[in-house]
Amino acid sequence: MRLFLNGFTFQLRLARTSPDTFQVCVTAPLYTLIFLSISEYGTGPDLTAYAIVAPTLMSLWILALSVAGTALTEDRDLGTLEGQIAAPAPMGLTFLGRMCSVVLVGLVAFAETWLVAGLVFGRWLTVPHPVVLGACLLVTGAATAGTAGLLSPLFMLTPSARTLQNTFTFPFYLLGGVLVPVDVLPHWIQPASRVVFLSWGADLMRDSLAGPAVHNPVGRLLVVLLLGAAGYGVGMVLLNRVVGRVRRTGTLSQT
Amino acid sequence: MSAVETRRLVRSYPGRKDDSGRVRLALDEFDLRVERGEVHGLLGPNGAGKTTLCRILCTVLLPTSGTAEVLGHDVRAEAHVVRRSIGIVFGGERGLYGRLTARQNLRFWGALYGLSGRELRRRADVLLERTGLSERADDRVDTMSRGMKQRLHIARGLVTDPPVLILDEPTMGMDPVAAHDFREMIKQLRSDGRTVLLTTHDMREAEALCDRVTLVDHGKVIATEPTGAVGALLAHRNRVDAAEVPPETLAALRAMPGVEAVEAGADDTVRIMTVDAATVTEALRLLVAAGVTRLSTAPPGLEEVYLSLIGKRGMSVRR
Amino acid sequence: MQPFLVIRHSAANAFADMRAIYTWRVWLFGWLGRMLAQVTFFTLLGRSAGGGDERIAYLVIGNSVMTCALECMSVVASTTWERISGTLVLLAAAPAKPVWVFFGRSVQWPISGSGTSIVALFGLAPLFGVTWRPAQVPVLILLVVLTALTTYCFGLFLAALVLNANGIRNMVSQTAYLLMMIVCGVNVPVGEWPAPVRVVADVIPLTHSLRAIRLVAADAAPGPVALAAGQAVLWGALWLTAAYFAFDAFMNRGRRAGGTDIF
Repeated sequence: MRLFLNGFTFQLRLARTSPDTFQVCVTAPLYTLIFLSISEYGTGPDLTAYAIVAPTLMSLWILALSVAGTALTEDRDLGTLEGQIAAPAPMGLTFLGRMCSVVLVGLVAFAETWLVAGLVFGRWLTVPHPVVLGACLLVTGAATAGTAGLLSPLFMLTPSARTLQNTFTFPFYLLGGVLVPVDVLPHWIQPASRVVFLSWGADLMRDSLAGPAVHNPVGRLLVVLLLGAAGYGVGMVLLNRVVGRVRRTGTLSQT
Repeated sequence: MSAVETRRLVRSYPGRKDDSGRVRLALDEFDLRVERGEVHGLLGPNGAGKTTLCRILCTVLLPTSGTAEVLGHDVRAEAHVVRRSIGIVFGGERGLYGRLTARQNLRFWGALYGLSGRELRRRADVLLERTGLSERADDRVDTMSRGMKQRLHIARGLVTDPPVLILDEPTMGMDPVAAHDFREMIKQLRSDGRTVLLTTHDMREAEALCDRVTLVDHGKVIATEPTGAVGALLAHRNRVDAAEVPPETLAALRAMPGVEAVEAGADDTVRIMTVDAATVTEALRLLVAAGVTRLSTAPPGLEEVYLSLIGKRGMSVRR
Repeated sequence: MQPFLVIRHSAANAFADMRAIYTWRVWLFGWLGRMLAQVTFFTLLGRSAGGGDERIAYLVIGNSVMTCALECMSVVASTTWERISGTLVLLAAAPAKPVWVFFGRSVQWPISGSGTSIVALFGLAPLFGVTWRPAQVPVLILLVVLTALTTYCFGLFLAALVLNANGIRNMVSQTAYLLMMIVCGVNVPVGEWPAPVRVVADVIPLTHSLRAIRLVAADAAPGPVALAAGQAVLWGALWLTAAYFAFDAFMNRGRRAGGTDIF
């Protein structure tokens, strides 16, 4: 627990000194503006819930990518990654702590997008299922953190993590049904979407903002959590392998 | 007309204060004259104001007051003329584009100084040849050794064939072989008839290269002398080195009127600083009488002058 | 003459950086794939919002052109790479104007961005029902390049402003391109916004060049197309002039303040 907290506070301190970490708080409302302006101009159904859910999930995802990519590469550049690897503490736990603090910032994005929809477009969204929404935000956040654990060893092995980081954005928003529900995608791609935790989180979050009773919320929350945990588990196995290989070959700084 | 001339040059950095809370002056009424064709050394500890002076002369820093001229052109009013007549070399590894080749680096800087076409290509080739980099000319700079990078720095500084060259701590971080090569290159530059202003805190480098040296500390000129004559400033202060001197003899030496200092060195050696030749004779007599056999005497080097004038802070950085 | 020479030699750096970051494969499957996904993302949203074919075409064209504008904003980040190589002080000592160095320094972005936009317009847009006639192709390519270059000039100005503020450079470039996506007629017509927003849109070259592209798509007469393109050129030139003075101001600030914190 102490390790977890250490990582948590370390990342918060990092976030304060590096404004880049807070950029999602600036970009999330801007995305809402884009989505809602498209919706406003269209003739179709009200997409307010979509326009609020999407930037929130995008923010979470961007933060996960940024921490998985930048934090590790920054550690590598500063030479502190070696220190972390050399330290006896299990690296995974420290890392998860760093992640969760960032996810907290992502939740701020939800509040912002909700406000923008109300203030700019007069679309004050009611929350008919606040408990489901709250649980969904938390669980999706945790799953994002877990999935970042899967990404981190991948980034560690790439010289230009930034490129990967950038590539993993919009294709995943599409695949994860972040804005457009997965049913709109071609049929052959839909099974793949169901493996991405974002698609479950997005659907549930949208349902929690809609009127009708939410179908099987607990089961769906569990799926999100399980997918996140699976990502984290696989990631940690990978990370240990990478670290082990690095210890043997000693090529950390060049990777 | 001198190559470089500064008169009552002052530069302060707002925000940098001394102990008593006054704004500290990086250069304080600094007067310097470097004649054409000479290799002039600026000698002083870190923080003495050497780099500030170099930056003012190459127009990347404005004087707070006073004037600085390069070949008669004011660095403030005629910056564009000054920029074309000087070459700059800063020590260290930064300042080159690592992903470009040596040749691309030189052509880039040549283009910035207005060279073009055949002239630009020829100039880059000549400099690569001259700095011994021809064989690696098309290799990326970040694959080169430190010494090679430093040679490329010098080639870069020479890309416009400038009459005045400013070298700020050029051998910083160089290994001895690279530093030796570098000194050979400076001698070549002198024989070209170029004026070289060189900052260093390395005595031997200044002694080996410079026609004249200016000793600098706390932003002020302490003395400007021909390199040989700086020694003459304290010429009478010969030194005696001795080993395994009995304690009572040391005590006697310390009490001797003409002895300025007795410093302990490594391996039970001592260095006795004297104020005149007569004291040397007297000290030697005492040492021989005490049975000391490992003895030597020498005239003071620049180092003694430097330590004597600037104090014993040596290379410590001033706060 | 000299500016072109400086730009050309400085561009060597841009291409070296490009080679270091991308291989052909990484560019194709990493960058291009991601950008096409983004265009698809916004276009599909339009479909969900209940747009007809015309509306879908509007979105796919707008977002295809937007990709090059987005990539050109990378100049804000790559300009600060000059600080990393430690060459700012040497640039300050050189007689050439710094703006030309920086113009060449990041020229990989408008080139790669034009490529992305062209692939999106001619490869992706037809999948959403947009058709092009052969005669439109060269004009469109020309207008995409124009969009990239004029937006790049705007980006250079922003880059000069934040050259000294490392921490916020990503935020500045992202905010800039998202605002462009909102106000420049990428997703909804500029006329939908209140007057003050339209004034902001007017000073951004993308608004005009994108209008020119939409006019070409609608088979408009050459006159209005040329007028819109001309306005894009005008605003691009003004931003380049602003960048010229902003880089000079940056160097002069460094000369006055001194210290390694500037250079």
